[in-house]
Amino acid sequence: MRKKKAREPKKIAKTARKLRGIKAKLFTKKRYAEKATMKKTIKAHQEKDAKTKDGDEVKPGAVPAYLLDREQTRRTKVLSNMIKQKRKEKAGKWQVPIPKVKAMTEDEMFKILRSGKRKKKAWKRVVNKISFVGDNFTRKPPKYERYIRPAALRMKKAHVTHPELKMTFCLDIVSVKKNPQSALYTTLGVMTKGTIIEVNVSELGLVTQTGKVIWAKYAQVTNNPDMDGCVNAILLV
Amino acid sequence: MYKFKEIQTIPPAKQLVDIVLSKTQRKTPTVVHPGFKITRIRAFYMRKVKFCQTTFNEKFTKMLEEFPKIDDIHPFYADLCNVLYDRDHYKLALGQVNATKKIVDNIAKDYVKMMKFADSLYKCKMLKRAAMGRMCTSVKKLTGSMSYLEEVRQHLGRLPAINPATRTLILTGYPNVGKSSFMNIVTQANVDVQPYAFTTKSLFVGHLDHNYVKWQVIDTPGILDHPLEDRNTIEMTAITALAHLPAAVLFFVDISEMCGYPIPIQVALFHSIKPLFRNRPLLIILNKTDLRKLSELSPEDRALIDSMADADHGGAAVQFFETSCASKDGVDAALTKGCELLLDRRVEQKVKSGKADSLRNRLHVTNMTAPVNRPPCIPSSVAQQKGGDGNTAEQEQHEKLERERMEELGGAGVYSVDLWRRALLEDTSWKYDVVPEIMDGHNVIDFVDPDIDKKLEMLEREEAMLMAETSLGDDEEVLKKWKHTQGFLDELHSKMRQRRIERKLAKSRNGNPVTRKKMKKGSEVEKELNEKGLDGAKVRGRSVSKGRKDRDSSILGKRKRDATENGEDQGRAESAARMRSVSRMKGLPTEKAANDVEKVRRKRMKLREKDGRKGEGDKWVPDWKPKHLYSGKRGIGKTDRR
Repeated sequence: MRKKKAREPKKIAKTARKLRGIKAKLFTKKRYAEKATMKKTIKAHQEKDAKTKDGDEVKPGAVPAYLLDREQTRRTKVLSNMIKQKRKEKAGKWQVPIPKVKAMTEDEMFKILRSGKRKKKAWKRVVNKISFVGDNFTRKPPKYERYIRPAALRMKKAHVTHPELKMTFCLDIVSVKKNPQSALYTTLGVMTKGTIIEVNVSELGLVTQTGKVIWAKYAQVTNNPDMDGCVNAILLV
Repeated sequence: MYKFKEIQTIPPAKQLVDIVLSKTQRKTPTVVHPGFKITRIRAFYMRKVKFCQTTFNEKFTKMLEEFPKIDDIHPFYADLCNVLYDRDHYKLALGQVNATKKIVDNIAKDYVKMMKFADSLYKCKMLKRAAMGRMCTSVKKLTGSMSYLEEVRQHLGRLPAINPATRTLILTGYPNVGKSSFMNIVTQANVDVQPYAFTTKSLFVGHLDHNYVKWQVIDTPGILDHPLEDRNTIEMTAITALAHLPAAVLFFVDISEMCGYPIPIQVALFHSIKPLFRNRPLLIILNKTDLRKLSELSPEDRALIDSMADADHGGAAVQFFETSCASKDGVDAALTKGCELLLDRRVEQKVKSGKADSLRNRLHVTNMTAPVNRPPCIPSSVAQQKGGDGNTAEQEQHEKLERERMEELGGAGVYSVDLWRRALLEDTSWKYDVVPEIMDGHNVIDFVDPDIDKKLEMLEREEAMLMAETSLGDDEEVLKKWKHTQGFLDELHSKMRQRRIERKLAKSRNGNPVTRKKMKKGSEVEKELNEKGLDGAKVRGRSVSKGRKDRDSSILGKRKRDATENGEDQGRAESAARMRSVSRMKGLPTEKAANDVEKVRRKRMKLREKDGRKGEGDKWVPDWKPKHLYSGKRGIGKTDRR
């Protein structure tokens, strides 16, 4: 066992010399991480032993000795808590984590589905993005169905992060509240980056100030669901 | 039995991810361009995702298949696994692997579906990345259970190969009472023996031959006397072996008390684990007699040991043996007795279960004994032959063997084999005649014909017969006849040659119209034939008579129809009737033949009419299923427009 340990570095060096390509990349990455942690621990050990000087620096705005114990207050800046709260609320009401989104063109959004005997008619559209479709939705007869939302691109769940708890939950989507791209997408239930969705938070057990259980809350989509294949959102609190 | 050793190593979860990803990279195509057709790009990335998933799936399936299912294996092993690895933990780990397998499958399914709608290379790529990332994350969560399973695998591989069904002896007792030393004496196994308790920490297996069959000896760790719940893992392995293996039990008691446990404690252990010995042959080995004899024991201890004998033990009496592993006294006796008891028990069980009957039905044991004097059996025919010729000197002097001949004539290397000695020829003096291989530049063997004599004879006979027949007489007459025929043939041939040349010349005028051959007049034909010395009038006959008649009637003018009394006219009518019949026969010799021809013609006509043909030359093939009438969809009510 002792000898095995002693031979280890030589063995590692040998593999490091031999490896090529992706394997070498992976290996060096791992090795780099190991070395970094090693250095850190060594440094921590050294610091533990070393004596450090106490902070003798003179703070800016030196005060005479008789004023040392007094806390300074700057009246001009002090505002009552109530006003603070109110301002925050007012500002926060319309503030969302992602305030601006990139505009999307129509042909990025939809694919034209040609119909008719000679595929001459081009009035049908297939929604190319992930969309939310309610449980009780039934498709219209083909003659009247302008927008098709493929079953493969429908999502019912979202990974919602609670910003204060710093936790992520997989929650049911209740509805799409607002798609910043256009009102049409909102009605279609298309979810793109920046879309506000309503999620079912009953599992989290949130309560209002009056003590009622909160069933649903808004959340904003933070990723491109059609690229990632899942909906990530941040809860708006 | 079970193949615990053949379970494949389980890499740690992180390594498994690396393995699978690099395998995906290696085994799937790597070149794709945005200029490719979108279907091709999609297929490229879908293949990657599917491949990754199948690789994960294979790995997990193999894991799940190879690890023993605790419910399916022998209860001894099942219990041992429970004791050593904790059944719940084990099942949970395998369950997690199974769950992850399903998760990976589902992820791949979803992402492949989504990829079908991706409209650019970038989107496909991002989806692939997301899919693989999610698969790997779910696999990484298995880290704990994978490392646990790897440990289990290593331990399982090192378990002794105990066959729960065979003849087995189990050694048990307090720690340090000499179980392992007994094992070392009895079998080839080299078990560690040390002068402290719990030297043996797991089960050990040794094998020995007794009564021409193999026996299994299991050395168990020592057991202390306390309730089952308090027992540790080491003790529990011994308990599982005792509980599940149908074996003879050798309970060891150290009567010298050198092990550190006094006799009363050891006896107490016996009484507490007594239920485990039920229905099993039990032997009590009083070990270490070289240190203290049984007779030297105090009366209290003696009474305690005797109390073990009274134990209620399925009717069979408990056997006591005094042994000493140091001096090897009584070891063999104990072993033999143990083996015998177990064998009896097993045979008894087999008889009870009826297995023996099915075997006995197929067997037949004879009681015949072999005769003492058994002379060789020689068939009468052979004996006769021997008796008839055997006495003659010739037979006794057997023909010389080739080997003997060789020895006589100088031995190996000098002697050359006489290949012609046994040749069967008509005349024995020919044997050593020299046969040339090549004669007049020809290979003789090419001209050798075994039937040459016969053929020659046949030829000679034929010639003789021909000679006899040559009574043709005058040669001159024959020659004359021959010359005449020859001249005739020459003339004919020259004519043919001439005609051929003429034809060739006519043909050589390329593309010129060929004039129609003029029909020869009857008179010309007649003339030609007459020139050749044949009867031309015979050929002409009918036409001559007809022509003459016509000429005659022309004199009479056009009155022949009404002229009935006219003899000549009557004759004309007769001839007309005949002519009509001739036309009905169509120039065929008999009426029957004509009828047959007519029948065939009608039949042909019938077929043609049925098909609606215009005539023989009508070869038109109709299009029964025109494409334009049969292609296209025929959905709801759209028969007219396709």
